[in-house]
Amino acid sequence: MTLLDFARGPALQAALIIFVLGAVWRIVGALTAPWRLVPANPREGALSPAVAALKGVFVKMWPHKPFQQAGLFTFVNGYVFHFGLAIVVLLFTPHILFIKGLTGLNWPGLPSNLIYMVAVITGASLIAGLVHRLRSPVLQLISRNDDYLSWLLTFLPVVTGLLATSHLGARYETLLALHILSICAFLIWFPFGKLMHAFLFVFSRGMTGVRMGQRGAEL
Amino acid sequence: MTAKTTAAGVPYDVQGEMSDSERRDAAMRGFVREFGAVAAAHLESCVRCGMCAEACHFYISTGEPAYTPINKLQPFEQAYHRHAGPFAPIYRLLGIVPSVTIETLEEWERLIFDACTLCGRCTLACPMGIDIADLIKKARHGMFKAGLVPDRLQLMDRTARAWGSPATPADDFADIIRDTGEQFGVTMNIDLEKADYLLTVAPAELTDHTKALADAAKVFNKAGLSWTYHTEGFEASNIGYLNGDIDLQETMTRKIIDTAVRIGAHTLVLPECGHAYGAARWEAGRWYGDKLPVRIIHMTEFLQEVVASRKIKLNRVGQSASFHDPCQLVRRGGVMQAPRDVLKALGFEIKELENHGALSWCCGGGGGVVSNSRADPIRYKAFELKQREVDAAGADRFVTACGQCRITLTLGAKHFKWDRKVENLLELVADNLAD
Amino acid sequence: MQRSQTLGEILDSRGVSRRAFLKYASYVSALMALPAGSAAAMAEGLAAARRQSVIWLSFQECTGCTESLTRSFSPTLESLIFDFISLDYHHTLQAASGEAAEKARETAMAENKGKYIVVVDGAVSTKDGGLYSTIAGVANVDMLRASVKDALAVIAVGTCAAFGGIPKARPNPTGAAPVDEIVTDKPVINIPGCPPIPEAMAGVISYLVSFGKLPELDDLRRPKAFFGETIHDRCYRRPFYERGLFADGFDDAGARQGYCLYKVGCKGPVTYNSCATLKWNGGVSFPIQSGHGCLGCSEPDFWDQGGFYRPLSTSLRDLGPALAGAAVAGAALGAGAAWASRRHQAAYVKEQAASEGGKK
Ligand code: SF4
Ligand code: SF4
Ligand code: SF4
Repeated sequence: MTLLDFARGPALQAALIIFVLGAVWRIVGALTAPWRLVPANPREGALSPAVAALKGVFVKMWPHKPFQQAGLFTFVNGYVFHFGLAIVVLLFTPHILFIKGLTGLNWPGLPSNLIYMVAVITGASLIAGLVHRLRSPVLQLISRNDDYLSWLLTFLPVVTGLLATSHLGARYETLLALHILSICAFLIWFPFGKLMHAFLFVFSRGMTGVRMGQRGAEL
Repeated sequence: MTAKTTAAGVPYDVQGEMSDSERRDAAMRGFVREFGAVAAAHLESCVRCGMCAEACHFYISTGEPAYTPINKLQPFEQAYHRHAGPFAPIYRLLGIVPSVTIETLEEWERLIFDACTLCGRCTLACPMGIDIADLIKKARHGMFKAGLVPDRLQLMDRTARAWGSPATPADDFADIIRDTGEQFGVTMNIDLEKADYLLTVAPAELTDHTKALADAAKVFNKAGLSWTYHTEGFEASNIGYLNGDIDLQETMTRKIIDTAVRIGAHTLVLPECGHAYGAARWEAGRWYGDKLPVRIIHMTEFLQEVVASRKIKLNRVGQSASFHDPCQLVRRGGVMQAPRDVLKALGFEIKELENHGALSWCCGGGGGVVSNSRADPIRYKAFELKQREVDAAGADRFVTACGQCRITLTLGAKHFKWDRKVENLLELVADNLAD
Repeated sequence: MQRSQTLGEILDSRGVSRRAFLKYASYVSALMALPAGSAAAMAEGLAAARRQSVIWLSFQECTGCTESLTRSFSPTLESLIFDFISLDYHHTLQAASGEAAEKARETAMAENKGKYIVVVDGAVSTKDGGLYSTIAGVANVDMLRASVKDALAVIAVGTCAAFGGIPKARPNPTGAAPVDEIVTDKPVINIPGCPPIPEAMAGVISYLVSFGKLPELDDLRRPKAFFGETIHDRCYRRPFYERGLFADGFDDAGARQGYCLYKVGCKGPVTYNSCATLKWNGGVSFPIQSGHGCLGCSEPDFWDQGGFYRPLSTSLRDLGPALAGAAVAGAALGAGAAWASRRHQAAYVKEQAASEGGKK
């Protein structure tokens, strides 16, 4: 079995199974705990819980004015690599085919050259994020191993993907295999670390939305 | 009660006779009670972005990374992952997440109590929508169980338990009301069998600021409403809400609500106190569910109501004013427009502070911090943020609607020899009632 | 034809001009990207070479490789070259049969000890002593071992000989193995392809004969000159790939526009071969040009890649049921963990009530 066959076959299979199992485990485990939401008599004219939850999810997409300056880098850089990752993952045709193979869903992709550009920007943005993390005393204090591992496992697929498409460093099939293996590593770690915020942020924002919404307070 | 310091020189107080391991277990049990889906969704979502630091007045004014809001939750988070998270059984089995140590808890007493006013500004900043302020309040429940609370807060707790108020024995309440009525020449209602409005008070009003009692009475009388103060339920500031004593919080909450129900009041009016609002208006549901037996409003909302319904008329002062938004009332409480409406009715031109409304800086004294002398240095640091904004706004008057905020700001002004007077909205209204 | 004659003499006597011969040498050097001046050296080497003794063994194969080499073009210099190597043994082509044939092989081996070349097409059955494929009662694997004993080099022609090919496809009932798994002490050159490109075959033999050494090989022992780049590297549809223009089927608008065939399973990006440059049938066309994706036939295990029409970037396995199972298991574990935590929490709180009660 070649490395590529291993990557496309058993490695990907195992990684996806662990990913789905772990992610569902964590979400179900967190949300089937007793809720312990303090009930409150909502303010007259307050948003309904569903609307407040949704509002919470959306309002948090951009910082309030006082935090914009201090958080400018965090937010802008965060957006750059999140959008970058989304574009690369969801709009590169080989990736779409991968997703189609798993889910049957299909949509048009973007030109590959554009994707390479976005991937380069994404990689640069991730590096900038890491440098920021290493230089900020606050982030140094609150960062855990999870933060660095999650960073690495997000960064590697971007780099290996770029190397593979540009045939740099090794033969294409080896690079492609490494790319797929790096994604496997990402998928395996995903449910257990902070990468899960990709799913959990909805609940976290939504719950604060409900709490503040019923009070008629800002989100 | 003993004051100690950790090996690293961090001061902490302990209460009660417990061994270290008993103390730690007690804290863990207190934490564990709080863990549910809501805490889980919050504690599982943090991405360690540090945005919350940029919101906290204690971090901004000192630059001390330890004051990063999410850092204040470290032991609470750890306990969550060990005892309640979706992977907790595995973490315990493999020892991936160790038990929280007593040393950590001792060290974190300062961060959980001294360095947090429960102001909720960090909650607004967190891109993941994590309600850090609420989690810190939850963490205080465990710390209280473990007897790891600043002595000053514990002292107030004891007094409140014994007297029904941290300021004065309940037995003296009626006398204070009567004396105040006489002193200010206002008709007082005390312990009436029936009334539409039950009026409650905050501790400072029973000692240094009794004029507030008279002012409230004056407005009620002027509006021609049926109201009363009541010995069985008068203390609305809820020390249990601040220091993590959930049992006391329940007792204090029940006293005022049950009294209101007993005398057939349709409305319970809370004094100018932010935490009273947080405790009674938004947390009474812990014991009463989401249909409260009585309408609960803050003094500021009451003033807005009587102004809007023209039950009282006001003289126009015709100056400019800046308003300090009490965190529990505005940011955490949703009462943003009412104080501004009242100020406008008083003819003030409002000069907003740079950070106002939901985004206002905390006075620095909420969450029991003003009563906890250990926190004085950072409280003054935080005060400077407010001072700068008030100076920049350059209004004639500086008004707020919370007694605790007023005390904190007044202490700050004294400390920095800043010649600004901090006024309460109720007092302005009472002093400017028109015929 | 006399064995002592040189290739040059034979070509002369056949009326092949010196110019044509030099042209051929230049062509081969260009194909193999040899340095300038090699063409003359090669022409000289070839002209001076004695007829090369070749033993051609055919094992588990379909004869496609031989067909490709002998039938694909009308007489050309390559075919002449083949005429002038001394094909001392070839199942399919030789006139002799039976014992006479086996005798010829042994004679050639003895006469050209250390100088003959063994060409193999077809995979080698190894299971149960190789009894699934025998010639004259001798198992392929044994014949191979015996034949290569005094060989100069071994050339594995076609994917079956090079990598096991179709006989080795799952479940590989005959234990088919590639030549270089059996022959470990002689230089082996792989010229894979199903079938391989004739020019590659001829080029390698010409090189071997004229320079007396092996051409540069990659890690799969393929001559880099022919297997140095992927089909995708040289594919004329590549611009469509880069622009994200793909055919979604074989008869849609994209297919008619000549768009890239990635989505319909083209394996060009991971296939090293010269189809895109040399093409087939004398340079007429190659699969991608006629509208079908590359099958990856010159790569190991190309038959077992989950289907020719499965895009390269997809998982090799059908994961639907496994993932559904994982989701269900995850939900169960999550609910279980929440339940365990509830009990754990309750026990904690109860303990506390007990200890508080005890104090009172
Ligand atoms: S609630 Fe206020 S004081 Fe406490 S950590 Fe958050 S911002 Fe700081
Ligand atoms: S702002 Fe929110 S997500 Fe970011 S570090 Fe603070 S708590 Fe975590
Ligand atoms: S048709 Fe195949 S080889 Fe050609 S560009 Fe597309 S993927 Fe590459």
